[in-house]
Amino acid sequence: MSTSLEIKDVQKRYGSLHVVRDFNLHVQPGEFVTFLGPSGSGKTTALKMIAGFETPSSGDIFLDGRSIVDLPPYERGIGMVFQNYALFPHMTVAENVAFPLTVRNVARHQVQEKVSRALQLVKMGDYSGRYPNQLSGGQQQRIALARAIVFDPSILLMDEPLGALDRNLREHMKIEIMRIQKELSITVIFVTHDQDEALTMSDRIAVINEGKLAQVADSESLYNSPADRFVASFVGESNLLPCRVEDAGTSLARVIIADKAPGLARLSGQERGDAGWLFVRPEHIDIDPRGGGTEGRNALEGVVETALFLGEMSRYIVRCGEATVTVKRQNRGRTPFPAGSPVVLSWDAESCVVLE
Amino acid sequence: MNSLLAHRRVRACIVAGPLLALLIGFLVLPLLIILWGSVEGSKLSLAHYQRVLSTGTNLSILLNTLKVGLIVTLVSLAAGYPVAYLLTRMKSRSFSIVAVFILIPLFTAFLIRTYAWIVILGRQGIVNNALIWLGLTSEPLPLLNTTFAVVVGMTHVFIPMAIFTMFSSMVRINHDLGLAAQILGAKPAQAFLRVYFPMTLPAVFSAGILIFIVAIGFYITPSLLGGPADTMISQLIVLQMTTLLNFELGYASSVVLLLVTAGILFIASLFIPLEMIWSSSSVVTSDRKPGPISRGLAVLKRQAHPLLVFIETLIHLATRPFLTTNGRWLWVYTILMLIFLTAPLVVVVILSFSSSPFVVFPPPGFSLQWWAKLAHATEWHASFLFSIKLGVVSALAATVIGTMGAFWLVRTTLPIKRPLFLFSLAPLMVPVVIIATSLYVFEARIGVLGTFTGLVIGHTLLCVPYVIVVMAAALRNFDESLEKAAAVHGARPLQVLRLVTLPILKPSLLTAGLLAFLTSFDELLVGIFLIGRQTPPLPLKFWGDIKYQIDPLLSTASTLIVVLVTVTILLTQWARVRHQKRTSADLAE
Repeated sequence: MSTSLEIKDVQKRYGSLHVVRDFNLHVQPGEFVTFLGPSGSGKTTALKMIAGFETPSSGDIFLDGRSIVDLPPYERGIGMVFQNYALFPHMTVAENVAFPLTVRNVARHQVQEKVSRALQLVKMGDYSGRYPNQLSGGQQQRIALARAIVFDPSILLMDEPLGALDRNLREHMKIEIMRIQKELSITVIFVTHDQDEALTMSDRIAVINEGKLAQVADSESLYNSPADRFVASFVGESNLLPCRVEDAGTSLARVIIADKAPGLARLSGQERGDAGWLFVRPEHIDIDPRGGGTEGRNALEGVVETALFLGEMSRYIVRCGEATVTVKRQNRGRTPFPAGSPVVLSWDAESCVVLE
Repeated sequence: MNSLLAHRRVRACIVAGPLLALLIGFLVLPLLIILWGSVEGSKLSLAHYQRVLSTGTNLSILLNTLKVGLIVTLVSLAAGYPVAYLLTRMKSRSFSIVAVFILIPLFTAFLIRTYAWIVILGRQGIVNNALIWLGLTSEPLPLLNTTFAVVVGMTHVFIPMAIFTMFSSMVRINHDLGLAAQILGAKPAQAFLRVYFPMTLPAVFSAGILIFIVAIGFYITPSLLGGPADTMISQLIVLQMTTLLNFELGYASSVVLLLVTAGILFIASLFIPLEMIWSSSSVVTSDRKPGPISRGLAVLKRQAHPLLVFIETLIHLATRPFLTTNGRWLWVYTILMLIFLTAPLVVVVILSFSSSPFVVFPPPGFSLQWWAKLAHATEWHASFLFSIKLGVVSALAATVIGTMGAFWLVRTTLPIKRPLFLFSLAPLMVPVVIIATSLYVFEARIGVLGTFTGLVIGHTLLCVPYVIVVMAAALRNFDESLEKAAAVHGARPLQVLRLVTLPILKPSLLTAGLLAFLTSFDELLVGIFLIGRQTPPLPLKFWGDIKYQIDPLLSTASTLIVVLVTVTILLTQWARVRHQKRTSADLAE
């Protein structure tokens, strides 16, 4: 059972503060969509409006084509996992999971059956008699998840559910959540400020900045073709070099990078003569001693400022005139460049985009 | 190693000594004397107990005490709960304002508030005048000297206490739980009844116990507002000890009251950790499995399930129109409650400017005559100064003894830490009237009765538990690694104390001292017994005058005290806010 969610022109103002603006999003049934953004970007407010804890100042929200903005939270039939889990401390695990059913007056035998099925699903069948404070963080997380799905909700909201877990557990829970989502094929809205979570788990990611949707795309397009400088710098590591468009070609345009080096790049709507920022990921840049061949690629000469050994790879900060460029290179038995080495950086024209 | 251990023991003795000496010397010992006296010493006669429990009047007084205590407790809890709930949801600015309106009545002397109710409920009082003016009644209703008046007066005293006791636990309940319940499908009434309310039950229960044990030892309100049929056991004890001079009977009544209190506390301890009643912050939520009682309750709940669902539906339908996102109706209720709490004080203030020689409300005209009179009333000045002196000395003594004791109680590694903490709060558990009478008997024996020292001992004993509650909470939150850091940087133990520990604890020390001062400033019963021929402190002066005649001069004196209390509270609030702002970097929240 999965349901579509549509958010249409939603605005939210607190007095003069405009926290969510022009929010438009259509989530397909069974889709896993992540709201990704820095804290204070309005992503949690957006989630609260879907849940019904906040009312939009204007705009509408549809669940399966039916407007829900006038419904109180308890009539929306939405499952939600809270950041701190919000398990009821005075109830056992079984009572917690049964809660959505008992408040709906579901018959007792059905309650038991559904509760044990949900607990099986999250692999917590043996813990039904415990109290939440007798469980570890990861276990509480599973119970919160079981409670949110036990009543077959139309969609599942998750508000930074992994934030309180330590790193190993977080990796593990990511996979668990994905497994459960696939098994139930339930529509999920997942809120996080952690780009790794977003990139691994989501079908699509909605990047939110200052209350606005900056870009909605799947992980790969988001990573490789960010729509603007915010997305480029918020998702993954990136270099943004000042550049000017010389000539807007058909597929690749000629640009001047950092006021000196000519090169080729994809455009994102700029025209001839426009100034912009050339975006390129650190791992797409090759670093070589000066004098090597860089034909057909964009190239910049520079001097290594810092060299950091990180185990599987090395990270170089290279000064190229005014600009500094970060480069990541796999350590495959290659001689490292000490600080002060003159080097040449090069990358494919396809792997860089000019952004506003 | 051995010398270190000895050293630590010595230190513990120095720190704990004064507290233990005070508690054992002036609480346990006097109580033992009373117990011994109640059975006529080695005769072990139970005759006096028989008289207490078999005489019709005595028994009915005991039952009446319990009845009034129960009514007052239930009414205060019910009236205070919504306010406490709203307080947990308030933003800090509105919180400060509302808190001040509750703190002022909380810290205004019982006597002043009771006096105000005499004015309001009297034959010529506001209520009767209003009823006659509205034509609802042709002649004044006998409101004063009734159980009704006692309940109103006592509820007025206990509602602020109920609000703050419940609030201090309720504030730690995460409001996300309510939201979680609602998104999972619980109607607001269900979310409240199944999630929020059960979680607040320990808070409600401990507030209830606190109010009940204080209420059954109450003296002032029932003596001034109640009729002969409303006599409570404290009055009986005072009467037996001071007028009838039937000491053994007084002892026996005291022991009965003490046993009732102990019994209630014992029952309470089956449900909640006892220290929660006085200092909710000291309770660490344990992984304790639910006891047989709560399991029994769960079975009961399952049996009554259909009924519960029916009630829930009713409440849902009834409350639905009143549920707004901003809690408008809750605010309306809270403001009404604040008016109820502060109105008596306002009446007193207005009366102090009356032009009439009698207590009539509303006053016929404005005049400063009573203020002029107060300015020349030397016996009031003497009482005022004596009260200040007594309060300052007692508060200082209590703060020093209590703080040292709190250090010991929090940091000791003795296995009986918890019982020791409870023992140090004993002066709050024993009804004041018993502390007063037992000290009276004891101090007479050791020859300090009627001296300033004797009085200070009594007041210090009453103030010390408040200091301990405040300081123990502060010390538990105190980061001990700061002391280690100071030591590593070369500070010797006393320097650590002077330069690091005490400065950090300063706000709590001030709060503790202030609480102790106000407790002493407002104390009546111990004063009545221990005063001897000294200048009466303010409450005693007040007490004598109220019983003798009710004139607007009392309003004027009360107004002065209300103003002083208000200024003190505003100053402390201001200091607290300032301190919080300055250290807000340390407080993650």
